[in-house]
Amino acid sequence: MGHSDGEHEHEVDDLSADDSSWSDGVWSEDDDEESVSFEDSGSGSGSDPESEEAAAAAEESDSSEDEVAPRNTVGDVPLEWYKDEEHIGYDIDGRKIKKRDREGRIEAYLRNADDAKNWRKIYDEYNDEEVQITKEEAKIISRLLKGKTPHANVDPYPDYVDWFEYEDKGHPLSSAPEPKRRFVPSKWEQKKVVKLVRAIRNGWIKFDKPKEEPNLYLLWGDETDTADNKRQGLSYIPAPKPNLPGHEESYNPSIEYIPTQEEIDSYQLMYEEDRPKFIPKRFESLRSVPAYEKALREGFDRCLDLYLCPRTRKKRINIDPESLKPKLPSKKDLRPYPKTCYLEFKGHTSPVNSISVEITGQWLASGSCDGTIRVWEVETGRCVKVWNVGGDVRHIAWNPSPDRPILAAIVGHELLLINAEVGSEEAQMKAKELLKIGEMAPQDDTDDKKPAVMWMKHDKLDGITLTHQKAVSKVDWHFKGDYFTTVVPTVLLHQLTKKHSHHPFRKLPGLPVVATFHPSQKMFFVATKKFVQVYDLQKAQLVKKLESGLREISSISIHPGGDNVIVGSKDGKLCWFDTDLSTRPYKTLKIHSKDITSVTFHRKYPLFASSSEDCSAYVCHGMVYSDLNQNPLIVPLEILRGHSSSDGRGVLDCKFHPKQPWLFTAGADSVIRLYCD
Amino acid sequence: MPKHYRPAGKKKEGNAAKYITRTKAVNYLQVSLAIFRKLCILKGVFPRQPKKKVEGNHKTYYHMKDIAFLSHDPLIEKFREIKVHRKKVKKAVAKKNRDLAERLLNQPPTYKLDRLVLERYPTFVDALRDLDDCLTMIHLFAALPAIDGERVEVKRIHNCRRLSHEWQAYISRTHSLRKTFISVKGIYYQAEVQGQKITWLTPHALQQVLTDDVDFNVMLSFLEFYETLLGFVNFKLYHSIKVNYPPILDSRLEALAAELYALCRYMSSGSARMIENLKSEETDENNNAEGVIEEKKDKKSKTSSKADKSELKNNADGVIEEKKDSKIKASSKADESELRLALLQHQLPTNEPGALVNLIEESTAPDADDDDTKECKSLFKNLKFFLSREVPRESLLFIIPSFGGTVSWEGEGAPFNEVDEDITHQIVDRPTQSHVFLSREYVQPQWVFDCVNARILLPTEGYLVGRVPPPHLSPFVDNDAEGYIPEYAETIKRLQAAARNEVLPLPGIGDEDLDNSLVAAMVDRTESNEAAEKKRKLEMLEKQYHDELKMEIDGVTFSNLSNKKADSSDTKDDTKSDHEDDENKQAEKDDGSTALMSRRQRGLYKAMEIGKERKREKVELLKKRKKNADSSSSAKKRH
Repeated sequence: MGHSDGEHEHEVDDLSADDSSWSDGVWSEDDDEESVSFEDSGSGSGSDPESEEAAAAAEESDSSEDEVAPRNTVGDVPLEWYKDEEHIGYDIDGRKIKKRDREGRIEAYLRNADDAKNWRKIYDEYNDEEVQITKEEAKIISRLLKGKTPHANVDPYPDYVDWFEYEDKGHPLSSAPEPKRRFVPSKWEQKKVVKLVRAIRNGWIKFDKPKEEPNLYLLWGDETDTADNKRQGLSYIPAPKPNLPGHEESYNPSIEYIPTQEEIDSYQLMYEEDRPKFIPKRFESLRSVPAYEKALREGFDRCLDLYLCPRTRKKRINIDPESLKPKLPSKKDLRPYPKTCYLEFKGHTSPVNSISVEITGQWLASGSCDGTIRVWEVETGRCVKVWNVGGDVRHIAWNPSPDRPILAAIVGHELLLINAEVGSEEAQMKAKELLKIGEMAPQDDTDDKKPAVMWMKHDKLDGITLTHQKAVSKVDWHFKGDYFTTVVPTVLLHQLTKKHSHHPFRKLPGLPVVATFHPSQKMFFVATKKFVQVYDLQKAQLVKKLESGLREISSISIHPGGDNVIVGSKDGKLCWFDTDLSTRPYKTLKIHSKDITSVTFHRKYPLFASSSEDCSAYVCHGMVYSDLNQNPLIVPLEILRGHSSSDGRGVLDCKFHPKQPWLFTAGADSVIRLYCD
Repeated sequence: MPKHYRPAGKKKEGNAAKYITRTKAVNYLQVSLAIFRKLCILKGVFPRQPKKKVEGNHKTYYHMKDIAFLSHDPLIEKFREIKVHRKKVKKAVAKKNRDLAERLLNQPPTYKLDRLVLERYPTFVDALRDLDDCLTMIHLFAALPAIDGERVEVKRIHNCRRLSHEWQAYISRTHSLRKTFISVKGIYYQAEVQGQKITWLTPHALQQVLTDDVDFNVMLSFLEFYETLLGFVNFKLYHSIKVNYPPILDSRLEALAAELYALCRYMSSGSARMIENLKSEETDENNNAEGVIEEKKDKKSKTSSKADKSELKNNADGVIEEKKDSKIKASSKADESELRLALLQHQLPTNEPGALVNLIEESTAPDADDDDTKECKSLFKNLKFFLSREVPRESLLFIIPSFGGTVSWEGEGAPFNEVDEDITHQIVDRPTQSHVFLSREYVQPQWVFDCVNARILLPTEGYLVGRVPPPHLSPFVDNDAEGYIPEYAETIKRLQAAARNEVLPLPGIGDEDLDNSLVAAMVDRTESNEAAEKKRKLEMLEKQYHDELKMEIDGVTFSNLSNKKADSSDTKDDTKSDHEDDENKQAEKDDGSTALMSRRQRGLYKAMEIGKERKREKVELLKKRKKNADSSSSAKKRH
């Protein structure tokens, strides 16, 4: 159909091209015009020529329009130019053609109503007349409108008729003589043939299909382990085998392998990687199992894995996780150690900052934020004494000499030395004496410089006040009980008997945090934020510098043997230094989740403890052997819990009883606890 | 200075010299990427993971030696030749030189992969070890639609079908199938060949759809290698049981899509013939030689073309007609097909098909088989199966004979009919069975699979027609290692123990109802159970008696007794609390020792703990679901 339509359009184009000289209208309008001309000529020349014309038109419609000229000769001008004129134009002789008289509408209507042929009448504005179209013309128009050829009996696709008759003619079309090449064998063809023949003879060209020989044979001969049977090239890493199916992949799995609808829905909330790839489903019978639609896809994925994935041999550790744990002696063998809370010392109203146990183990002193210092009897838990010092007590320490019951306490910028008024009367008297001399303190003022410390008598209590220039953080006694040290941002040494202070360490690698005396030798430990400096007091020189590797040291404790140091830090780590071994930690334990506030060794038992802001205290076994070849043995023993957190703080201090395996802990919940075996 | 600065004139060293990226490798070999891929697949070259990725992290690295290995392969030249050939054909077609084009098309350059197979798998065991993927792939392609115009050639699909059937026939013949599992993805089989466990997956016997999300070029490259590999493996295996390869099949059975059965027949007769030949070697040399020649001829005609094949069939039929008249009066279908097969192989067996089978049974030396094989061989011994229309025939035709059963199916070419009196089991998979023979049991196909996995004949009650069968469990799971044992696995375990005449501890109360039904069949087991129970009761009574006697001696009055009981319960509580304490301590100790580990060890330990925890959670989930299901089902029962 498409083809025939195109044909029609082509014809139509031809027509309009012919007409375009005098009319640019649509082709159908042209056609009207053209048919008008037929009519006109027909009416003019009578019936016979008309029929002739019609016949001619049937024969060749295209040429007819040129023969008869229209009545009007104005040409292709807008007809409105003649709108107001009397005439419509000029005839071929140049005479005016008068306009016809207009008939009334009613008349026209009546005439039209009467006339059966009215539908075929058309008003020709150009010639100012009414034209009646013949039936044939109407047919042509309707055919043209349909896009067909104007005449029904035109065959658009006639069979080709070869007009030339070849048969029985006796002679060819051309009378030229046959050229020679028609009779001589072609040279080039011969060359080609020779080539082909040679190729065939030499077997370059074969015509039969190559035979399919059976290409299977016994590929693997003997299975001896010779060099030929070894794989060449790089070491072959076989691809891991695909996972074997579990119960859940069964077509009829156990009921417990099928997830519930809620579980399936919950998979949507998971990350895409975590989402299970296979959702088990249950089929009642084998016949209801459908084809697995991902079969090809999975096969393809496996192929991709096989040729695209880098393969490496990975050692898979197949060990019992328990075997990773270091072998430790049983806890039962390490008894005694504090395990359970035995006593609670209640009385303070604010967090207890610091505690200290008297050397005999009979008394316990505590300093708290509520501005009081209390002395408790350990065995009964009774509060023996209370001093109100009117300020937050930051640190407190008993004099380690049993015959000097003196307490050192830090309140703000001041260090108080108080007669504890416990113990034998003799000792109390001695303490009183020691503290009395404090009245001579102002003598120090004679120095030019402003002294670092002012020794003065306490105005209310029976004791001495050492006023520092800055806030004091720590105090520690020498084991003989005469010297003591305080940590302002610098380290100061004081002598109780002479009431004298001096400032020995001018240069330190950072701000000192804690300072402490060696428990038996003349050594002195100063901990800055990252290092611990060990000084020999007699020679007054630096002996060692321990690198903790911690972020910020908060506390330090020296083993009674003197060679081992533990250091607690604000990142919850505890370092054990064996100073004979190395200047780096022998072991670092990450046991607390928050800052360690205090670490302490037991004087007699191989125990050490740490307390932390996370409301727990940790008791460990720390055995030091006299054999230098044997490293210290550290066994974590017990986590002591019981303190409650207040204001984000937990346990603020811990101290061992000097003789018993007991641990005192001071909490931010203003309670002191005693843990016993 | 750039990061990896190398002075001019200095050779590359280390990872930069050892590894090469893919793009560079392709350029180095002067091939296209597609050919490079194909080469890698065929040669089994895979990317490596260098310690230091010199060219960038997101690139694929190949070892330089691997690439050198590829570049020395003659295959690379062959691929170039193919490319040239393709160009020649194209040119000839474009120049309308039809003769040349046809001639060229008739002689495409071909290559063989046998060398590569040997190169990749120097010993046969190596090949067997890597056979899993090969078998899965071949079985997958065997299940694809063999339609012209699809992306896979029909010829190759037929080849895959043939190879898979040959493999299955071997496995079935040597009874080396060990485990089977019907999963949603298909049916898994595990066989043991020469000590290697080979697992493969066959899709369900349903039409697979060729999807667009896969690259068939890659898969077909793999398939090309796998086809060759499996061909050689089959050859070797058939050789090892003294059967000719490639097998010649009964074309009628082949036409009926019962190739596997045809293969089995071929194998049994083939090996028999081998033995016969050996026996008659001395006596009947002439005859034998003739047979060999004829056989060769036969082979040729077989391999030549399909048209020839059909001709052969006609010939064979013609021969049958003749022979029928003169010699044998074959009545049953089985005999007929036997005869045809025999004629195809140009040797005439005895009249009776059973005799043939017996001969082979004898021939396979029993002492050569290990215990496992023996067990597998005798599982379905003396059982006759009949498969209904709707069950997956291929799978069962493979499994049942490999465990020593005889099997037939509904349809043409079947060895025996449904009306056969000797049939012991009929396998059906339909809601109801209208006509029932009382002499046989009607079971669902799952029964066969479960029996095979349990290695005992399970009671058929649970698998009867129309019932929902008990859960089908995977034989590949180590339940103990997994930490959760499904209920039915335990039942099977007990049944196995009963079959071995052992007595396991009595099942829990919950299991009893299920158990009773299952145990009913096993008389000796129940008896032994009863005996055990009696014994236990006796023991209990005895103990009670002794206790009372003791108490009398101690002078405990009855009133005291109750107190004492209370005491004892108290002490029990105490011990319990002690125990709890111990547990707590244990937990604390755990905490402590983790603090002492090094950071790396702690990380490892924690990772392991997480793994354990996940596993535990999984088991917990299963238990919870089980509990829920149980409670809901019991609630339903009550209503």
